[in-house]
Amino acid sequence: MSLLAHELRLLLRHRLTVAALALLAVLTIAALAAGMAETSRQHAAIAAIPAAQAEDIAAVADYVDQSKDAGSAAYYSFHPTWDAPAPLAFAALGMRDVSPYMLRVRALGLEAQIYDGDTFNPELALPGRFDFAFVLVFLAPLFVIALFHDLVSSEREAGRQRTLDALPNGGKALWRRRTALRFALVWATLALPFTAAALIEGVALPTLLIVLDLIAAYLFFWVGIAALVGRLQWSSVANAATLAATWLVLVLVVPTLANVAINRAIPVDQGAEIALAQREAVNGAWEIPREQTMRRFYASHPQWADSPPLGTEFHYKWYLAFHQNGDASVAGRVQAYRAGLEARDAAGRALGWLLPSVGVQALLTRLAQTDLTAQLAYQDRVRAFHAQLRDFYYAYLFRDRPFGKADFARAPRFKDTPDG
Amino acid sequence: MSVVRLIARDELRLMARNRVAVIAFVLLVLLTLAAVLSSWAHQRGIAELRSRHAAAAEQAFDAQPNRHPHRVVHYGTFIFRPLSPLAAFDPGVDAFTGNSMFLEGHRQNTANFGDVRQSSLLIRFGQLTPAFVLQIVAPLLLIFLGYGALARERERGTLRLLMLQGVGRGELVRGKGAALGVVALLAGLPAMIGFALIAGQPGAQIVPMLTIAGGYLAYLALWVVVILLVSAFARRSRDALLALVAIWAVTVILLPRVVPDIANAAVPLRNRLQTDVAIARDLRRMGDSHNPDDPHYAAFKQSVLDRYGVTRVEDLPLNYKGVLAMEGERLTSSLFDRYAGESFAAQARQNALVDAAGILSPAIALRSLSMAAAGTDFAGHRRFLDQAEAYRYDLVQRLNRMQATDVSYADDTATDAGADQRKRVAADNWQRMPDFRFERPDGAVLARAALPGLAILVAWLMIATGLLALATRRLGVR
Repeated sequence: MSLLAHELRLLLRHRLTVAALALLAVLTIAALAAGMAETSRQHAAIAAIPAAQAEDIAAVADYVDQSKDAGSAAYYSFHPTWDAPAPLAFAALGMRDVSPYMLRVRALGLEAQIYDGDTFNPELALPGRFDFAFVLVFLAPLFVIALFHDLVSSEREAGRQRTLDALPNGGKALWRRRTALRFALVWATLALPFTAAALIEGVALPTLLIVLDLIAAYLFFWVGIAALVGRLQWSSVANAATLAATWLVLVLVVPTLANVAINRAIPVDQGAEIALAQREAVNGAWEIPREQTMRRFYASHPQWADSPPLGTEFHYKWYLAFHQNGDASVAGRVQAYRAGLEARDAAGRALGWLLPSVGVQALLTRLAQTDLTAQLAYQDRVRAFHAQLRDFYYAYLFRDRPFGKADFARAPRFKDTPDG
Repeated sequence: MSVVRLIARDELRLMARNRVAVIAFVLLVLLTLAAVLSSWAHQRGIAELRSRHAAAAEQAFDAQPNRHPHRVVHYGTFIFRPLSPLAAFDPGVDAFTGNSMFLEGHRQNTANFGDVRQSSLLIRFGQLTPAFVLQIVAPLLLIFLGYGALARERERGTLRLLMLQGVGRGELVRGKGAALGVVALLAGLPAMIGFALIAGQPGAQIVPMLTIAGGYLAYLALWVVVILLVSAFARRSRDALLALVAIWAVTVILLPRVVPDIANAAVPLRNRLQTDVAIARDLRRMGDSHNPDDPHYAAFKQSVLDRYGVTRVEDLPLNYKGVLAMEGERLTSSLFDRYAGESFAAQARQNALVDAAGILSPAIALRSLSMAAAGTDFAGHRRFLDQAEAYRYDLVQRLNRMQATDVSYADDTATDAGADQRKRVAADNWQRMPDFRFERPDGAVLARAALPGLAILVAWLMIATGLLALATRRLGVR
């Protein structure tokens, strides 16, 4: 123990070491604070939904109450959905800055609504967010390089290596001690502020422990690389250059190359096709006999088939039926689109097994529920909610029940969490 | 002069003998070539895909059967943002913005299906483009090749020897700078070849291209000067290397991420949900077209009746429903314009904050210069959104006017079995509707937008060169 304490004293006498650790601590804390500020902004935006929604729906209710027409209620009522950030989201904001976490839908065709985005500034999103994941994945390795590149070579260059090797408890034990000490310092610089933030945000203990292990594992990888390069017995400066080049390749170059390869190998261009085809299907309904639309709708929704036949006047049940038919007509494309997105995502994750930088980012965004999987899960919840909305309005429309002011309060409400 | 050349040649020979340096240089060249080819192919692929989709959407619009004009207002049209030729060099925000938009009456939709939501998580690590290679990777290569240029001579004591042999300090620094400059030019060459490829494409504009070339030249020159400067000050080469890598990490990697986060927090944007609710609220205050007693619409109706000297809408020579639709669209569109304008202004303020940080990080200045000249920055996207909204409004009002003139009020309000056919307008009308054509900005406009970034870069270069001149005078003095 006293040996370690001595090494610590020695290490902290290095201006470079102290400066590096202090800078890393500042960056870590800043990134955590930025992430927490962002998630609290998102929480606040979600908390502001009910007030806005109440105002908006009250005006629709006033208007619809005159006619008591359930179709107008369905047409004019937008229903909010949202995806609250998970407790760990502050550490890895993932896709949450470019994918919407709030979306209002109405009981019309969902495929024309679900791909809508929220307002964001693309120039700010372009470089990526400054969050804990960035500090860990991109910056922490540079600090490892700064602290480890001359672990042995500096002693050799100072002419002390042979002496140190000859000391009792010297040699390998000494390098192990020094490595462990530096490693522990870097880990603590990242892990302690992170733990504090995680406790404030209410991150579950198992998740917290996984992240702490992840930090250690990722740092260990870079310490290992530094040790490997150190074994080549090059000069400190050659070590530093080699390690920085390795960092560049592993953290920046290979991921960008892989991105090009993945996007080339798995083309995903069904998005626009879904939108175009859905519109044709929906608007085409005005050109075909209305009974044809209803037959198709009743075939998939027999529970409403006993509804009275259409007259010559416009009826919203026909309108909503062809919207639903329109969604059904693009179901295959929607599947293919989603499969394409998942295949790209899976390919990116698979690379994570080879590239720790990508692996850490993938794991962090998974734990933080800010990745594509979480985004698709939110879409699934929107789809399920939308199905409830349809059923709710159909029960009025297909039975010709009046829709009064009180009925607005009976509409399904989006549940905050899948099981909540 | 010959001394400078000798020193430069000697430095280059030393670099060539350094196997790691040569490998790194070759890798950079290969990476640039890969970036040029892949982003050129990507850009062409996207341009082809979007024009195919656009053609399909236009064809579908023109092929509509006889329809009521208001049906067509809801049928709407899809437009696709074309990609500028220079996007092959620097795609900017293209992947981060939706590139297709559905235009319809009463609503302003978002641009959807952007690459960022359709790619694996790798896209957030950066995109492999010539701009990425030159902005981020090339400076690091120059650092590796140049950190020791002066520090090494001092560390090994050869600096004194050189001076004793009569080499001037200025000659020494100029020679080293020339060698590193040659490397920088060679490193930038493959990207410039890619640029030449782009120049062969139709629609490529020469003035913004020259601006971009000048900007990157200034950027790489700045790195050469900074490397020599640090190398001149550092006591040991290792210190020079660490300091340079730290400068690179802060200015190229860290600040470009931190500053946008600050801008994001400093200038909040109103989200879409709140915007939609606010627009609906304002619209109710302006007038409620559903309410027969609404004062705004009652006054509007009276003004229309007065204009034609009649007392009932049935007696108007126009279909009042079409006239009403035009007024409604005018009101909603004025609100769309106002709220979109507010949002754009807030985003422009955010971007101005980031651009101001170019004073701290030349990489930020270069990035905004590069995107602005390529027309792929926020302003470029906004240009698309503005033109899309103008086109949407024009199209919807044409259709509303058609409803007013070509569909009679009696037919439009009839609900008998044959009314649906009588309300319709002939199909050949749809082909006569103008198609959306994105008006590309003038080359001079793009180049002018890039000027602030260029000015910051040149100022950096001048200051750094001045400092290097001062450092040169003290070189070797203890």
